[in-house]
Amino acid sequence: MNIEQVLAQAEQLLAAWNKETIHPESNRLDVVIVADDLRAAVIALHDAHWGYLSAITGLDLGTASAQLEALYHFCNGPAVASLRVRLPRDQAILPSIADIIPPASFFERELQEMLGFTFSGLNISARLFLSDDWPENVYPLRADFTLDQAAPVAVRQPDKLPEQGFVGGNTFVIPIGPQHPALKEPGHFEFTVDGEIVTAARMRLGYAHRGIEKAAESRNWIQNLYLFERICGICSHTHAMAYSIGVEKLAQVEIPARAQAIRELVAGLERIHSHLLWLGVTAHEAGFDTLFMYSWRDRETVMNLLEQITGNRVNYSANLLGGVKCDIGLEQAKAIKEGITYLETRIRHYLEVVTTDTMFLNRTRNIGTITFAEAENFGLLGPTARASGITRDVRIEAPYGAYTRFPVSVVTETKGDLEARCVVRLKELLVTCLAIRTIVDNLPEGPLTARMPRKIPAGETISRIEAPRGELLYFIKSNGGETPARVHIRTPSLCNWVSVLEKAVGRQLADVPMLIAGMDPCFSCNDRVVTVRHTGSNENWSWKQLREYGIEYYKR
Amino acid sequence: MNANEQVWTKVINQVRTWARMNSIWAVHFNSGSCNGCDIEILATLTPRYDVERFGIKLEGSPRHADVLIVTGPVTRQARERLIRTYEQMPEPKFVISVGACSISGGVFEGCYNCVGSVDDVIPVDVFIPGCPPRPEAVIDGIVQLLTELKGGKARAPQKQNVPEEIAA
Repeated sequence: MNIEQVLAQAEQLLAAWNKETIHPESNRLDVVIVADDLRAAVIALHDAHWGYLSAITGLDLGTASAQLEALYHFCNGPAVASLRVRLPRDQAILPSIADIIPPASFFERELQEMLGFTFSGLNISARLFLSDDWPENVYPLRADFTLDQAAPVAVRQPDKLPEQGFVGGNTFVIPIGPQHPALKEPGHFEFTVDGEIVTAARMRLGYAHRGIEKAAESRNWIQNLYLFERICGICSHTHAMAYSIGVEKLAQVEIPARAQAIRELVAGLERIHSHLLWLGVTAHEAGFDTLFMYSWRDRETVMNLLEQITGNRVNYSANLLGGVKCDIGLEQAKAIKEGITYLETRIRHYLEVVTTDTMFLNRTRNIGTITFAEAENFGLLGPTARASGITRDVRIEAPYGAYTRFPVSVVTETKGDLEARCVVRLKELLVTCLAIRTIVDNLPEGPLTARMPRKIPAGETISRIEAPRGELLYFIKSNGGETPARVHIRTPSLCNWVSVLEKAVGRQLADVPMLIAGMDPCFSCNDRVVTVRHTGSNENWSWKQLREYGIEYYKR
Repeated sequence: MNANEQVWTKVINQVRTWARMNSIWAVHFNSGSCNGCDIEILATLTPRYDVERFGIKLEGSPRHADVLIVTGPVTRQARERLIRTYEQMPEPKFVISVGACSISGGVFEGCYNCVGSVDDVIPVDVFIPGCPPRPEAVIDGIVQLLTELKGGKARAPQKQNVPEEIAA
């Protein structure tokens, strides 16, 4: 089926509730519906297995119209169908669809906090992104929000931090986070345990919430490129690339083939650095520090290449609106090929290690298994989904940039356990190495940049990219000015969280570190972990101790 | 204190400084960073840069740490946790603020959920600029701290803008 047929199918499915149809771009279909029909429309798409819910974007249409709009983006291959619901500001009540599509609860909570939508049936009022001392009824993404509406940071209340574990009834809550000894972003988890078994899991994000989407509205198109690079230091190129591709689509600028190829090349190198980083972290959580050190040593090869090409190890700034900043000369090409050859042998070695090392397999085989059906239901993305047999990869489904010219093949596994996730990621690296070599050998000639206008024409666009962790979605709206009217970013980790929370329940506490690391989330952890033994004595545990406990547990 | 005791105290302090200089334990706190600085800090611990050979070790618990390494602008939600982490560390304690965001807010200056720089919240001893700083820069920052320690710096300076709870 081609895109038109797929979109026609969606239009047919939604015909009963359709108030207005818009085709903003060749691969998109916008269907305007009313709030009461939302559930029926979502069920129609869901039951027909028409794609998956990729994101919900909330828009404030300005104080003059006093309306809010919610856009439910369903992606099916390259086709995107959006359900648009307009509501008056003071009566922005939508039915929740979290019972039909579990990951929607995160999207709905985001809209609830940021724009002041109300979701009937969601019944979660706890904050996910904004700080605990954020004033009620102040929504940062509304058009009329000003900084002074958010009251100054509250006086300290040392005994009222929500992270503290408590004993109540038969449950004991183990708080993990938000401070982690070594790695990544802060997040906070609460695992309710009955002895060794986790019976419930809850999480709180927002420790690293900076308010980037709002900040983007006050910065011009070029400044934003550098802002979005700093959303995540691990996949900074992917963010800048998704944004650039979106803006170029709006401005209807076709960037030169050489620039596209270099973008894919840097994205490939970034994937190698990200996956090797992940391999090290996972090995560390399993108590396999040798693998951690080896994989990080080899990661330095990629860091060297990135530095040689772009001039920086992290936040490379390879992208420009309309092209790229850096060229690949003979010297770089030689270095890349040498580096890739070395890495390929190392990756093959790691593949052997993660599939044969008995100690490591004890921690990964048949643990945290997500079946195909569950993965579909959770709406998983990226390698986590592919390990369960879902062929969901934007690079293949909806090739962008140079991926049409230098395609990659999709890697899937069927088992869905932690071992499969290791294997998928490592095999993906071999595929990436192959693609990088092909690009270096067949780099198209030509300029590096195309001319971009300073003001971007009015319009809306969706740009989807396969980041190392899964599909990254940018929704960009322009009013024709020098700054964007709205940029909505849905990162892959947000969709994959559901699986961590669902899969931890029923497992041993000892598996929790590996389960969390296995999803490759962007998070960070722990200050102390409190545990209760069957004897009832309470102890304070650090994340390190929990990790060691996990290692000891599996020695038995 | 008689002359004998004074000599004794001096010797003890010298031994302490010597010990401290050769085994710096650091705790890392991400107060809203983009991960860029965090992965570079981690890279300084791994084989290529390997700061563990100087006795520098990343420690999970603030209660065992000498140095607090903070990355990122301080977000509203992380502020209280940063102060608590700082408070839990035993004296003498030192703070290294890594990256442009932790020094001035960086690109996130003026964002609604950012309180400001690390310096606004807790006293800082060493600033390491860069976005993110290279591992060599991180090592240089730690060396600067060590040099100051060698020169007899006993504890972090108390600053005016420190909240009362910490200054006490």
